[in-house]
Amino acid sequence: MNQEQNNSTPAGLFAGYDTGGFFDEMFESSGPRPHYARLARTLGSLTAEEFRARCQLADLTLVNQGITFTVYGDTKGVEKPFPVDLVPRVIPSDEWALVEKGLSQRVRALNLFLHDVYHDGKILRDGIVPRDLIVNAPNYRRSFVGADVPGDLYVHICGTDLIRDEKGTYRVLEDNCRTPSGVSYMLENRLILMRVFPSLFSENRVRPIDHYAAQLLHNLRDLAPHGREDPNVVLLTPGVYNSAYFEHSFLAQQMGIELVEGRDLFVDDNVVFMKTTRGPRRVDVIYRRIDDDFLDPLVFRSDSALGVAGLVNAHRAGNVALTNGIGTGVADDKSVYPYVPAMIRYYLDQEPILEQVPTYMGWKQDDLEYICDHAHELVIKATNESGGYGMLIGPQAARQELAEFVRNVRSNPRNYIGQPLISLSRSPCFFDSGFEGRHIDLRPYILCGRDDVTIVPGGLTRVALRKGSYVVNSSQGGGSKDTWVIAGELPVETTQTQTMGRMVQTQTSFAAPVGGEQ
Amino acid sequence: MLSRHADASFWIGRYVERAEATARMIDVHYHFGLESPLVGEAMRWSSILAISGQEELYHEKGYEEDERSILYFFAFDLENPSSIATCIRLARENGRSIRDQISSEMWKCLNRMYLQYQDWDLERVLSGSPFAFFETVKEGSQLFQGVANRTLMMGEARDFHDVGRFLERADQTARILDVKYHDLLPDFADHMAKHLAPYATSEAGSVGGPVDVHGWIAVLKSVGAFEAFRKTFHQGVTPSRVTQFLLLNPQFPASVRHSVGRVDTCLRRISGNRDVAPVNEAERQVGRLYNELNYMRGEDIITAGLHEFLEDVQDRCNKIGDAIYRTYLRF
Repeated sequence: MNQEQNNSTPAGLFAGYDTGGFFDEMFESSGPRPHYARLARTLGSLTAEEFRARCQLADLTLVNQGITFTVYGDTKGVEKPFPVDLVPRVIPSDEWALVEKGLSQRVRALNLFLHDVYHDGKILRDGIVPRDLIVNAPNYRRSFVGADVPGDLYVHICGTDLIRDEKGTYRVLEDNCRTPSGVSYMLENRLILMRVFPSLFSENRVRPIDHYAAQLLHNLRDLAPHGREDPNVVLLTPGVYNSAYFEHSFLAQQMGIELVEGRDLFVDDNVVFMKTTRGPRRVDVIYRRIDDDFLDPLVFRSDSALGVAGLVNAHRAGNVALTNGIGTGVADDKSVYPYVPAMIRYYLDQEPILEQVPTYMGWKQDDLEYICDHAHELVIKATNESGGYGMLIGPQAARQELAEFVRNVRSNPRNYIGQPLISLSRSPCFFDSGFEGRHIDLRPYILCGRDDVTIVPGGLTRVALRKGSYVVNSSQGGGSKDTWVIAGELPVETTQTQTMGRMVQTQTSFAAPVGGEQ
Repeated sequence: MLSRHADASFWIGRYVERAEATARMIDVHYHFGLESPLVGEAMRWSSILAISGQEELYHEKGYEEDERSILYFFAFDLENPSSIATCIRLARENGRSIRDQISSEMWKCLNRMYLQYQDWDLERVLSGSPFAFFETVKEGSQLFQGVANRTLMMGEARDFHDVGRFLERADQTARILDVKYHDLLPDFADHMAKHLAPYATSEAGSVGGPVDVHGWIAVLKSVGAFEAFRKTFHQGVTPSRVTQFLLLNPQFPASVRHSVGRVDTCLRRISGNRDVAPVNEAERQVGRLYNELNYMRGEDIITAGLHEFLEDVQDRCNKIGDAIYRTYLRF
């Protein structure tokens, strides 16, 4: 263990690695951070050529499994694997404990908020959140006021994006309360890394994440109406041409539930059925990966061919549960985001654990002026866009671009917010020649069950692979990393091997750290 | 099981089998031509067109009946609904749409077959050894079927997959026999013999003569039956023996009787029907054909007219597919 102290300057393949003055996840000025020490040693001891060979192995695995996206065309479209960087992102246990607590608190408040704005509207009446902002929000579903949902839960799966600023402080950038995606990449990245770098996992105590699907299924089953025994849970996908289709089929497979499309379902007398080889079969819970707008042509967009006519009424009648609930988009509206700390204080009577990013709101006159005057310093975002669209990064934008964006803001202020540009933390990523720092964020997946909030340790770390870029979305040239949460203390490992004839059983036992976590 | 999933599973079975059958057919014709200077190109390629039932489309597209065009049409043309490229692509598309239903090994296998196929084009097939190309397709199909056997649960998804696979196989075997029989009619052989002198003697052109024997061996090889046939019949290759073997042999895995029997078993497992009487139209039609094949003798077929019989089998395979669709797969 003495070697760890000798690692004060990056060595081997990390030699010459430049943190570029940013908060670097792996290195501080004196060398690798303690929770990265073993990783720095092992990865640093490889040659660039060896590392490249591992990258090729990872790519091949992805291509063979069809975890790819189509670059252009269809009939002979070129398919490329989603870029995975093989340097994992490591989160020490104390940092994770804080993040976990903060996110649980946050998602509880968001669910209470949604129940409130679809029922009594107390928070609006008390003037904590402006009524206008909510009832005019494009994702506020007026038709759902007064409707009850199982366990009063609206958001069952939340993907909250966290960033770390120049001091390393975790801040919430936004919540995704509708149909957050990416969890399959979190799970696949782990499988890939285990395959490509098995030794890393024996050197580090990485907390497992493979119980995600089991926990999700447990929560979904809990939502079944009328307490039906062995409920029929399905995943509703828009179909194979959806860019997240891989994830839909992956999750359905992991949970062992049917992956259905709108055309597989029909509603009869307010009950949802699926068409099977043995006739209609009742559906109790739908994990839908289709936006509200496309869910039911009778209620929302009538031109939607993806949804199921009558589904919303069946849901209102309490005959089928939907995950996430309808109308949750009002909670992740970017102009509602600044009020989340106030919600936490209002509903939970607690101080928010996680910081946010200061936000200027277009609909406030003073803020609007500030946004327009300081556009070159701010990140300006449309309130209801996602995936890195409808967004301007002031400090990196051309003068003309700025002027044009400011005009858009002026013409529809309610639609925009402005935030100071946070210089996101960086993490080493491997490129052909060696390691270079790239900006990253973190999206943990928060599961809200009837009894409890569960977060599998870690989440999806997204990487802006383009040099200098702050945009991590996969549609904008982003990649991802395996994300490790390290268990309490380093293991004191004792291995015992029993041999009986040809049978060999290996037992690994960890000395339980006092007060440590599982 | 969702009807849509059952449908996809059924079609994966059909398309993979069809890709293999198409590869076998071209392969055998190709090598038949190399081995036998007695037969001109036109004969080889026109019969392939007839088997596939794609003659009309082929001529519409203005292709010549030469090696290049035929190879392109059957190996790579995505507008040909039974080209190998189309079959592999559609098998994969169906696989993608039920990724959660089939094992991930099966998906990986389909995906890899598709990706590897993208590396081939006409030039590569012609410049290298076409043999390696056909081998790749056949092995891809066989690997997939092996992986499916080993990893797919013994449930409905598997039964529908097998129904598709064996229905396609029965149909393909009947087709290949039908067209080759037509090709190898004595008058056609006579015609060839006259035009190909001095290679051919009058004996070469008669039934049982060298051209004829060679043609029937090609038929056997195209369904992978040559060795099995040799083990079963030691007396030599004759039209009636080949016919009997490919239609009625209970043990040969690509015989029509065996294939229809497998369809029957799978359908009954799906419905759970243990009774002799069928419970739906699909079972009725399959059961009836299977029983006829079980009780039929080779000479019965010849007496009734082989061509008529084979047409009837193909027609009934179509009707069976239709009945399965109406009973289970409509969604």
